[in-house]
Amino acid sequence: MSKAILIDTTKCIGCRACQVACKSWNDLKGGQATFSETWSNPRYLSSNQYTRIVFREISRPDGRLEWYFISRRCMHCLDPACASACPVAALVKLPSGPVVYDDERCIGCRYCMMACPFQIPKFQWESAVPLVRKCTFCADRQAMGLAPACTTTCPTGTLLFGERAELLTEAHRRIGLDPNKYYPQVYGEKIAGGTSKLYLTPLSFEELGLTQVGFRTDLGDAPQGLRGREWMSKVPLVAVAVGGLAVGLHYFNQRRAAIEAKEPKED
Amino acid sequence: MAGKIEKWYPGEGKLTTGKAVLYILLVLGLSAACIRMFFGLGATTNLNDAYPWGLWISFDVLAGVALAAGGFTMTAAIYIFNLKKFAPLLRPAKLSAFVGYLVFVVGLFFDLGQPWRIWHPMVMWNPHSVLFEVSWCVMLYTTVLAIELFIIGLERYGQGKESWIKFFREIYLFLAVAGVMLSTLHQSSLGALFLLLPQKMSALWATQAVGPLFFVSAVIGGMSVITLESLIASRVYRRPPKIGMLADLGKGLGIALLIYFAMKVTDLYARGTAVWVWDKPHFFFFVELFGTVVLPALLLCFPEIRRSEKGLYWISGLAAFGVVLNRFNVSLTGYIGYRQFGYFPSAIEIIMTAALVAMAILIFDLGMRYLPIHPVGEGALGKEVGGSP
Repeated sequence: MSKAILIDTTKCIGCRACQVACKSWNDLKGGQATFSETWSNPRYLSSNQYTRIVFREISRPDGRLEWYFISRRCMHCLDPACASACPVAALVKLPSGPVVYDDERCIGCRYCMMACPFQIPKFQWESAVPLVRKCTFCADRQAMGLAPACTTTCPTGTLLFGERAELLTEAHRRIGLDPNKYYPQVYGEKIAGGTSKLYLTPLSFEELGLTQVGFRTDLGDAPQGLRGREWMSKVPLVAVAVGGLAVGLHYFNQRRAAIEAKEPKED
Repeated sequence: MAGKIEKWYPGEGKLTTGKAVLYILLVLGLSAACIRMFFGLGATTNLNDAYPWGLWISFDVLAGVALAAGGFTMTAAIYIFNLKKFAPLLRPAKLSAFVGYLVFVVGLFFDLGQPWRIWHPMVMWNPHSVLFEVSWCVMLYTTVLAIELFIIGLERYGQGKESWIKFFREIYLFLAVAGVMLSTLHQSSLGALFLLLPQKMSALWATQAVGPLFFVSAVIGGMSVITLESLIASRVYRRPPKIGMLADLGKGLGIALLIYFAMKVTDLYARGTAVWVWDKPHFFFFVELFGTVVLPALLLCFPEIRRSEKGLYWISGLAAFGVVLNRFNVSLTGYIGYRQFGYFPSAIEIIMTAALVAMAILIFDLGMRYLPIHPVGEGALGKEVGGSP
């Protein structure tokens, strides 16, 4: 069975304990906090930052100003584009849920970064021997029977770790219990073939202005990698067809030229 | 063992200004390459997490391979379609193709985060990946081109190796067909790389037909580079330009441009893309479609332009530029990263690309001088005598 995390953003208070837990477990360096109009710190994901919280201040129709906090990290797609793109299979989706990356295989071509519809894989630009970095869904902890670091530290129960099927049922139960509190769709249930991160939000992702920061809503339900795989499935056929046609045409044209040369020229 | 039979062109071996510039560029490029290897991509390029691919992928890799398509185009024309009249263009085309793929391989080497792992796709397979297929095809095709140049070299330097020449004659059809097949696959698959990210691209280029479009435009790129290369070579090496033959090749180029234009228009119409809008992607789009596809195709319609040296320069120059512009549009200008981030290549990126072009010209010149690229009897300032391919 495949694990997932249900992220109920209505419960998030923006404390960023998940960011700290992620850094501790993955042994990532702390960054310099900076002011910006986004309130978020840090402002972007990077090879040193696998998760961050996006801060949003939204004015509701009744005039209230409301804060919302949305955790951003690798979506761990059920059918990841990065795994379809990688020429050396450095990125692989594990049956248990995580999309993991093999340091030893990667050649640094960065096609995964181009292919990822959520713009998640980040590159160690500062290194002369760079690798790709992203949230690992704590695959190492999961292998030991532990829950991901961020989910164990969340004080409000925003991050709920469990079986994907059960979490989906739970998400729809919550929407059903309080339809006024939630936007009726679970982001991640179907998008791009479904993901292992399931988001419950009070408003749509467009209204929260999240489509600008990597949470696309225009991806459709088909996995992005499918198009590449469909192309690849035609390659053997094209190879045989072009090869056969080339040989056939070669002999055909040779023969035609030979016959033309033999025939008496009519003027 | 005979070295060179004759001086290939007057003044050969002298250091001209042009050559001095090329050598200086090469030295600058080598220094830049050392800096890049020691300090890494982040320190030496302007690439970032929002723009992981930049000038090197767009120019060295995508445009370089498309412009080197002349090798397989001429091989197909001569060996498969039996258009023997183009035979004198075959060997220069093969040489320029090999040089083009060399640019690709060297360019890609420095673009990889871990260049020393460039061999990984050979043993670490992912048959689902389009890039995996591209890397295999390019690897095999570069080998085919190297063997073809080796065969050409045997002719001049291979006395006493007649059994080798016989062997290669026997497998030659296999090599030619393999070259055409591998080229068809990877020229189109380079476009298919972008099948995975249509949402990140401008709708003008985000199409499911990007593979076939790349293939046809590569044929255009190949033919226009053969024309340009032949014209420039005849000027530099002081030989009469093969205007008649190039005008005939121009007809083929015209057909390819028409097919490409029809494909483009059909694709845009079928997807219902908004064409008549004025913004930056559309500006590049109009230049690409009207300036570098329609305009050269129109110019080709006039026999007096098609049969003039200046006309051929313009036609093939525009068409080749169009292919380069298309590759930039698909991979860079039409790509939308994070809106807050931009990208413009760094000095090191530009220097290394310029050095690669200089390297290509110098190696091409080396090949022209030391390999029997032109038919026997076509000596310096001599009259053109047709030879066998």
